[in-house]
Amino acid sequence: MIDKIVRWARVKSPWILHFNTGACNACDIEIVAALTPKFDLERFGAQLKGTPRHADIILCSGPVTRQIKDRLTRIYEQTPEPKFIVAVGSCACSGGVFDGCYSVMGGIDTTIPVAAYIPGCPVRPEAIIDGVIKLLEKIDTPLPSENATAQGIAIGGDRN
Amino acid sequence: MSGEKVANWINQQLEARNVSVPRERRVVAEIAPLKLVESIRMLKEMGMNNIGTITGLDLGDRFELIYHLSNDDGVLLNLKTFIARENPRIPSVTAVFPGVFFYERELMDLFGILVEGIPEGRRYPLPDDWPEGEYPLRKDWKGLSADKGVTVDGAN
Amino acid sequence: MAPIKIPFGPQHPALKEPESFNLVLEGEQIIDTEVKLGYNHRGIEKACESRNITQCIYLIERICGICSHSHSTAFTKAVEEIAAIEAPPRAQYIRTIVAELERIHSHLLWLGVAAHEVGFDTLFMYAWRDREVVMDLLALITGNRINYGMNTVGGVRRDIDSGQAKQVLESIRILVERTNYYLNVAINESIFKARLSGVGKLPQETALRLGAVGPTARASGIARDIRKDDPYAAYDQVGFKVVTDEQADIFGRTMVRVYELLESYRMIRELTEGLPEGPIAVKAPRKIPAGESVSRYEAPRGENIHYVRTNGTEIPERVKVRAPTLANLASIREMAKGGFLADFPIIIAAIDPCFSCADRMIRISGDRRGELWNWEQLRDYSIKWYQQRGVDLSHMG
Repeated sequence: MIDKIVRWARVKSPWILHFNTGACNACDIEIVAALTPKFDLERFGAQLKGTPRHADIILCSGPVTRQIKDRLTRIYEQTPEPKFIVAVGSCACSGGVFDGCYSVMGGIDTTIPVAAYIPGCPVRPEAIIDGVIKLLEKIDTPLPSENATAQGIAIGGDRN
Repeated sequence: MSGEKVANWINQQLEARNVSVPRERRVVAEIAPLKLVESIRMLKEMGMNNIGTITGLDLGDRFELIYHLSNDDGVLLNLKTFIARENPRIPSVTAVFPGVFFYERELMDLFGILVEGIPEGRRYPLPDDWPEGEYPLRKDWKGLSADKGVTVDGAN
Repeated sequence: MAPIKIPFGPQHPALKEPESFNLVLEGEQIIDTEVKLGYNHRGIEKACESRNITQCIYLIERICGICSHSHSTAFTKAVEEIAAIEAPPRAQYIRTIVAELERIHSHLLWLGVAAHEVGFDTLFMYAWRDREVVMDLLALITGNRINYGMNTVGGVRRDIDSGQAKQVLESIRILVERTNYYLNVAINESIFKARLSGVGKLPQETALRLGAVGPTARASGIARDIRKDDPYAAYDQVGFKVVTDEQADIFGRTMVRVYELLESYRMIRELTEGLPEGPIAVKAPRKIPAGESVSRYEAPRGENIHYVRTNGTEIPERVKVRAPTLANLASIREMAKGGFLADFPIIIAAIDPCFSCADRMIRISGDRRGELWNWEQLRDYSIKWYQQRGVDLSHMG
């Protein structure tokens, strides 16, 4: 019963932290566009928060640069459990066009575990909404023995 | 002042070589590194009141530095200077244009050129844990080697 | 009271790239700012040296998602100059139309963010709603909302047909109406005006000395605009005026951007109505002859400089990019000096700090040597501070 209430609360009010790990800004402005009136992600209870300590979902955009790597790990550690990382954009999924650059580590999953991948360059706001909703559906499905964070689900097509 | 006039002024006032005007509003000139700061100061007084950026190039046997100066009439002057690849050093022009700080930092980080007289500051743009002696924009640089403690996937 | 140093970033709730600032505060006043960059350094200039020119266009487009067309136009312009090919007039017009649409989307974005930073979220939501009108136009013309992929060496890749042109004119009509409303808000809303006036002062001589560009320079009374000074694409065939402002503060920068929006609308209308007939691209060789070129471009944020040197192969010898933000960063220190901490977000116009979660701070003693405190030390300090004032909080977890 308590589990049910907790899960209901978790699904109905996912608080989001947006973190740019070295992106070109394109996915970032699309994340904000998804939160503003035309697309309105807030109707699902999602709210953009300023600090990892309040967040349930971290939307990471961009390839992980060498400089940001430690900060990304620190932010991940600051976020309370349960936490879900969403890789937004092709760069966040795999490194994208920047794969192989000397200052780029690769996708988000080279540094921290990722729960959902949303490919696109840049991701359209509709795809971000779709991705977050699919993640919420996943959270809503009880998985007593498994942890959704570690599983990893691909959304809207292949990772590449 | 038009491009032609800037070129004429440079020919008369500075000890520059190979002054040319490749197209309207573009001037190219070469200067000795020792004359650099003085020349840029004189150019600033003449009206070239902005440095867009500094481009560094690795020519294999030496480095080429291009200072892109511009004036209010849209003329862009590419002031070139060449320095040796062994023990490369160049005086800082921050005394004339304080805004070039970040561009000179780039030369230091990406080419390993010692900029003499640059104000104290944090490094830019490479990360704090970047190993010493690795300069990515040099042509013979092929990536970080594993023995520098940083491998391709970043694991130590 | 000893000055306190507060680290800002690299993670922060607002929009821009991760940058980090160290603010030295005396009470509420900022006495110094130290900037730390490089979180976004990906090594694009090196990557260009291993890709061919066509691949470079798409890589360079992804330097910045907000002004992607600026970077790809500046790069293709430089390559075209080296190869001595000229894009046909229709391509030049289409490039200019997309460039101005991009400026509109960027300025509306900025207006929203700036409103958000001063706590005027209604304007933020309004501006972003209207921005979607431009985004739809860009998607209609280019096929993508951001990173348009319009440019190619020798012209553009997509044409604008008569139906699209009609839609452009119709959307511009809506935007003009909305922008006039914002202008009205900016001028008549006394709280908004009072919040921005006199904040982040950048006198003209300081802006000149530090090499400020774009709206930041123009708001300090410097009429520096590459579209006028060194015309490219179709800017020499279209009438517009360079908007400047003498107030040299954030209110001035807002005014410059809002008036530039109106100029952009006029330009797009003129360009769309006068779109010349003809091909949209000429054939360009795969191998570009050896040469060098510097290309300047007035991006929404200021002057964008691309230096390209080729060596006769398909792969460029060197590509150097100077984005406008780097030129303006030197001014931030001057703008912030003497300002209040609460003004810093709007001075950066992107940073919205959250002090409740700043888990440590550096206390600067008299000789300016920093002392690093961790969370426990900070907690002990605060408990003692309250105990001295007769409040005991030590039992609280």
